[in-house]
Formats: sequence, C-alpha cells, structure tokens
Amino acid sequence: MTTTKTFTYSHTIGFLTAVGRGFTNPVDLAINSQGVIYVLNRAGPETTVRLPSKRVSMCTLDEEFLGEFGTGGHGDGEFWWPSSIAIDSQDQVYVADEGLQRVTVFDKEGKFLSKWGEKGSADGQLEYPSSLAFDADDNLWLTDSGNHRVQKFTRDGEFISAWGQRGPGLGQFEGPWGLALTDSGDVYISDWGNDRIQRFSTDGVLIEEFGGLPQGDAIRRPAGLAVDGDGNIYVADWGNERVKVLGPDGSLLASLRGESVDSKWAADYFAVNPEEGRLRSEADLFPELDPPARRDREISAGVEGYFWGPSAVKLDGQGRLYVADSLRHRLQVYQIN
Amino acid sequence: MADKNLGLMAHLLRRASFGATLQELEDYQAKGYEATVEELLHPEDAPEWDDDVFRRYQPDLNSVMYFESAQNYWMYKMINSKRPLEEKIALFWHGLFATAYGKLNHAKGVVNQTDTFRRHGLGSFHNILMELSRDPAMIFWLDNKDNHKDAPNENYGRELLELFSMGIGNYTEDDVKNCARAFTGWTIANDEYMSVRASRDSIWPSGRIDWQFEYRPEDHDDTEKSFLGHTGNFNGEDIIDIIATRPATSWFIAGKLYNYFVSDTPNEEAIGFLAEEYRKSNGDIRSMLRALFLSDYFKSEDVWYAKVKSPAELVVGTARLAGSYTTPQWDITNLASDANFMGQEILNPPTVEGWHTGTEWVDTGTLVERVNSSALVIGDALHPGVQAMIQRLKDRQDSYQPGELVDECLLLVGALHVSDGTHERLVEFAANWGEVSFTPEDAVSCSEQQVVELLQVILATREYQMA
Repeated sequence: MTTTKTFTYSHTIGFLTAVGRGFTNPVDLAINSQGVIYVLNRAGPETTVRLPSKRVSMCTLDEEFLGEFGTGGHGDGEFWWPSSIAIDSQDQVYVADEGLQRVTVFDKEGKFLSKWGEKGSADGQLEYPSSLAFDADDNLWLTDSGNHRVQKFTRDGEFISAWGQRGPGLGQFEGPWGLALTDSGDVYISDWGNDRIQRFSTDGVLIEEFGGLPQGDAIRRPAGLAVDGDGNIYVADWGNERVKVLGPDGSLLASLRGESVDSKWAADYFAVNPEEGRLRSEADLFPELDPPARRDREISAGVEGYFWGPSAVKLDGQGRLYVADSLRHRLQVYQIN
Repeated sequence: MADKNLGLMAHLLRRASFGATLQELEDYQAKGYEATVEELLHPEDAPEWDDDVFRRYQPDLNSVMYFESAQNYWMYKMINSKRPLEEKIALFWHGLFATAYGKLNHAKGVVNQTDTFRRHGLGSFHNILMELSRDPAMIFWLDNKDNHKDAPNENYGRELLELFSMGIGNYTEDDVKNCARAFTGWTIANDEYMSVRASRDSIWPSGRIDWQFEYRPEDHDDTEKSFLGHTGNFNGEDIIDIIATRPATSWFIAGKLYNYFVSDTPNEEAIGFLAEEYRKSNGDIRSMLRALFLSDYFKSEDVWYAKVKSPAELVVGTARLAGSYTTPQWDITNLASDANFMGQEILNPPTVEGWHTGTEWVDTGTLVERVNSSALVIGDALHPGVQAMIQRLKDRQDSYQPGELVDECLLLVGALHVSDGTHERLVEFAANWGEVSFTPEDAVSCSEQQVVELLQVILATREYQMA
C-alpha cells in the first residue's frame, strides 16, 4: 500500500565556516540517542590552510552549536577524505575515510578511541569506503566503493562478510555510495554508477532493483539513502541535484529541489553585517535560469536555496528528513507528514 | 629519429593538443593528417569529459568555491579531455581576454567564462565578442556593471577595442567613449549585492552564488552615437557588428592565432594569409585554423619547436604523457602550483594584457621549475603512461645499445626531434650504463630505472620544453 506523505521544508541548519560554528562541505550526518547531530565536513582541497576544515561538528536541531572535533591529516583522529559517519548503540561515533582507507572511532565527545582498516581488495580491506550503517546487532556495514562491494564488520573492525562485484548486471555495482538497513533485515544500496537502488537480503541476495522511473524522474548518480518503517526510500539524487522519495514499489512520491532560507547562524551574521544583509534582502535569490549546459548543476550554482551536491539523507524517527546539502554547507530539514 | 610524417603529426598535436604519446600518434597517422585536423577542429564529435567521479571524491571541484579548486578542475579537464583543441582554444581566449580571479573573488565566474570559450571558441569571432560582452566575469572584471547611462565607465569599451579586437591606432578616443555608451545597461543581476559580496570576499552564508547577465534597457543610453565612421542609436550588438568586419580586426586575430599556434616570432606573410581567411569566412575561427594547419606556414620544419611551451601546456602535456591524474588525486593541487611557480597562474592572469609569452616564460628560476616538475612526473614508473613506454621497449627487443635506447625513447615521448648536439649528449648519458637489457629477469628493475632516468633527461631538453 502506498502511503500519502507530504514533505514540508522546516528550516536550515548551517553556515559556511572554515572552523567553528558552521560547516564546510558536509557530506553526511548522524544523530545520537540524545539528539546530538554530528555533521561530517569533507572540505578540500587538501592544502595546509584548508585542512582544519575537515572536522566533525556537533549541534542540535534548533541550531545550538555544541563543538567540533578532528582535523585534516593522517594521524589518529584526523581525516583526509572523510565520507560517512555512523553511531552505534553506545553512542560511539564512527567515521569512514576514503582517503585513508580506514574507519576511526570516537566517543560521543569526540575523543579518539581507535582506528581500523587498510587499503586493498582482500576481505576486510578497503578501497574508498563511502557509507556506513549499523544494524540492530551493532555490526557495521559499509559500501566499499572502489571494490564495488558491501562489507560487514563487527564494531571493533573484525571482518564478517563481503558480497558484490563490479558490473551493470542485477546485483552488481559500479562505485556504490549510500547504504541503508531496515529493521526487517533488508540492505538498500545506492548503485551510484549504474543510476539505481538495489535491495538485498542480509546475505547479499538481490530482492529487487529500483531504477526504472520515467525519463525526467529517473535517478542519476544516487548518493546517500534512507528507508523508513513503511519501506519508503529517501535518496540523495546527487546527479539531479534533488532528493527523491520512492514508495516501497519504487514509484516516485516526491522530488524535492530544496528551498533553503537563512539559518539562525546566517541571521546572526547579517545582524553584524547589516549592509550586506540589506542588499541580500533586496536581491532576487530564486531567479529563473536557463543555462546552456549541465542544467541542474548550473541552476543549483545560481539559485542559493536549491540543493547543490546533496550527498546524504537521514531520518530521525520523529518525522524529520535531514539533507546534507554539501556544496551549500548546510543541512536542509523537512517535516514529513 | 622519427620520420618526417610522424614528426609533422607530432608538431600538429603539440600545437592543437598538449602533445601525444607514440600510440596516439600512430593512431592519428593511420587516419591521416587532414582527417586528424578535421577531427581536432570538431571537438563536439568526441565525448565530453565525464567529471562525475572527480566531483564525487573531491567535492570542492564541484562548486570550485576556492581558487585552488578551480585551477585543479581545469587541470583535470585539460589532462582528461578527449577534446584537446577545445581546451587549447579555451586557453587561447583566456590568455587574450585575460580575466583574473584576483579582482573578482569568484573562481566559478572565471571557470564559467572558460566554459563559454569552450562552447564558442571555434565559432565566429563576432559571436565570441557577443558572448564575452555578456559574460558576468568580464562585466565585473572591466567594470561594465558600473557603466551607466548617466555615468559611463569606459573600461570595457576601451579594452574591447585595444586589447580584444583591433589594437591601438585603429580607433579614436571618441570611438572609445561611444563604444562604452553603447554597452551601458549591460550588467549582472543583483549587481549591488554581488558587488558587496565580491568586495568583501563574502562566501556567506552558503558559498558563492553564480553571477548572471542582465540587460537593463532603462540604464542604456539609446541616443545617437558615431563609431568608426558609422552613426546610429547603437547598442552593444551594433558595435560588435562593426568591429567584426574591420580589416584591423582580421589582422589582430590572425596575429594572435599565429603567435599561439605557430611561432613566437611573427611572420607578416603568414598572418596576412590568415587575415584573408578571416575575411573570407566572416571571422570563423574554425575555418582560420583549418587553413592554418593545412598550410605550409604551419607545416614547415622552420616552425617546429619555434614556441616555448606555456607552463600549462608543459605540465598538462607531461601529465598526459605519463598517464597521471586520470583518477581523483588529492595532490592534483601540486600540478597547478607547478604552473604557478613557472609563471602562469591559470584563471588569474597578471593583468588584462594576459601573460607575456615566448622566451619570457623562461628565466633561471622558472627553467629549474620546468625541468624539475617534468622530471618528477615522468620519473614515477608507476604512472600508466610510463609503464606503457617501458612495455613498448620490452616488446620491441630485449636489449638496447645507448644510441638505440635514446632514439626509441625520443620516439616514445612523442616523436621528439632533437638537434645533433642534444642527441650526442643524450647518447653520452645513456652510455654510462652500456647496454640496457630486459633479460634476465633480475636485470629488469635496474633497466626500467635507467629508462626512467633517460626519460627525465629527455624532458629536460630544450626540444621537449619547446612546442
């Protein structure tokens, strides 16, 4: 049965900062049992001056900034190409790194606890780990995108299983990105390079694929995804600069373009920069654009309120959808009714 | 030494592309010279560079908010594009219509301008000037957003005539003033807000916002103007109509193309030939380049190696030869830095006049940088292009005497012709090792290292540093 849902833009969390209260290219987020939102900032390029922007920021839904941890580098607790963040049942924080081919573990305050992982293609080795998710048994699943497979570990990094191979066929992958697990034990994978989502059993048996939407609605280069209790699929449609919501049967329920207005942190900025704020208030920030090429990308570059590089979507179990709006350095929050 | 036909193909590819590997040269040879020229002149027939994987793993390339990211993005594109002449012509127009990040504080604005050069750079010069006049980065760069009906700003109007189309001496001060008046009202959307953001280098709250062209009729001076002997209520389009048909424009563009594609030393006869082609084709750049590449002016061995490679040409050409940076690499930023240290900050030319080219690329400091950068890239035997060169040597024969090894390596780096003196020095260098052999197995590693060292020395030669 397809449920009727509405998705209403609620507010924006975020503001571009190199360090401190704000984000830089947030590619993923996770929410712990206390409602603390951990935002993973990829940042870049990897020049000395930009490295401190690679960090995890902590905040709340109503934009209280709680601090940050981590920095750019190769040492313990440091990040190079941080890609995904997940939280276990003990509120420990796990960060995958596509540059260092490892997973780093922190306590909930951001204190470094451990790291594991090494580059390679053997069981348990990693090549661009793109997305993390915990199952109900506290096992950590990840998309091993460079090896075009899914791997499962204990939360201490002991290898349990791996499945998947490169290719366009059913059950195969091309640079898989997002991963979501359901309470019923299904595994959903964003098969990035093949422009589809695939649903598997926990032991890697393909159940179905979702990709056959009509022209215009089709998903292109899907990134992070989430699945709700009704089996609806929320996917960051990275290649189309949108967030799509699919019903359990794969039908399109909604296509969100983003509609951000200024966050509280942004309002604070304009309060102390009133001239810039005044001119902004007089500007047309949602113009109609007709770029000659790369249409959706270029429109997102020119319309600040739209998603640009949406990389991850998360649900909080309380009817809210969070979108990591990576190139706009913010989270857009939607209320689901 | 490579044969003359292969040498000519290599010459074409050094100018219309960023050089070519031996395999690429052989593939082009099989098609023939004229067919290769035609293929290069029609980049739209080749697939566009798929940048998705780069933007995924290096998201800063996606928004190019930072200057370094914008430079890195173009480096990747020049290295990986299957449309090399599209990149070369973008680099040409970028050098001629020099627009610098340093004033704009908007890297993507300059990147968007280079995209315009890709889309239109081989088309008619008239259209290129139209696109340039509507380009937001140019409007910002030369202050046309401050060019108002009641308070004209002559900056763009002056440079359009002096640096972008005809050259000094071909117009009067009154022409400049009236040209500027014709472009009043050509501005960008939200100009006040965008101006204050640029002046404060504001990236807040959510990064840069792309600039958009906007024409404001209420701010356009629609009164009568006289321009280059014509009189009317001219708008910018009318001005470009007049400029594009001037003989001075044909000579100006012909001279710039000759300098960029043929030689650092002007040749009046060849430039006249090109100017005539401009007139015959109504200023079609593709037609001019076709005529040029098929002409004896271009094919003559007198102009082989008659240009110093620009830093961008050098680092991109070497990366393409080595097969490096074909996948996302965080250290791509080193490549742009190398070009910067050699004197060419792409996307940030020093002035509106662009870079001083030719022998001015080389001084004692930049020469060392050019040699070191090339040697570093080609010196990594893990790069696929280097491995391919070594494999070709192995496949051909098991061992090489010094002279044979030098000749084969010169061929492998793109059918490089060197002077007798250079050849002699290279053979002396290779003779230090005597025979280089790929058998038995335990000799391979040492021999491969010797090949790499010889390649490094070849890339340091005068001939490789020239185009």
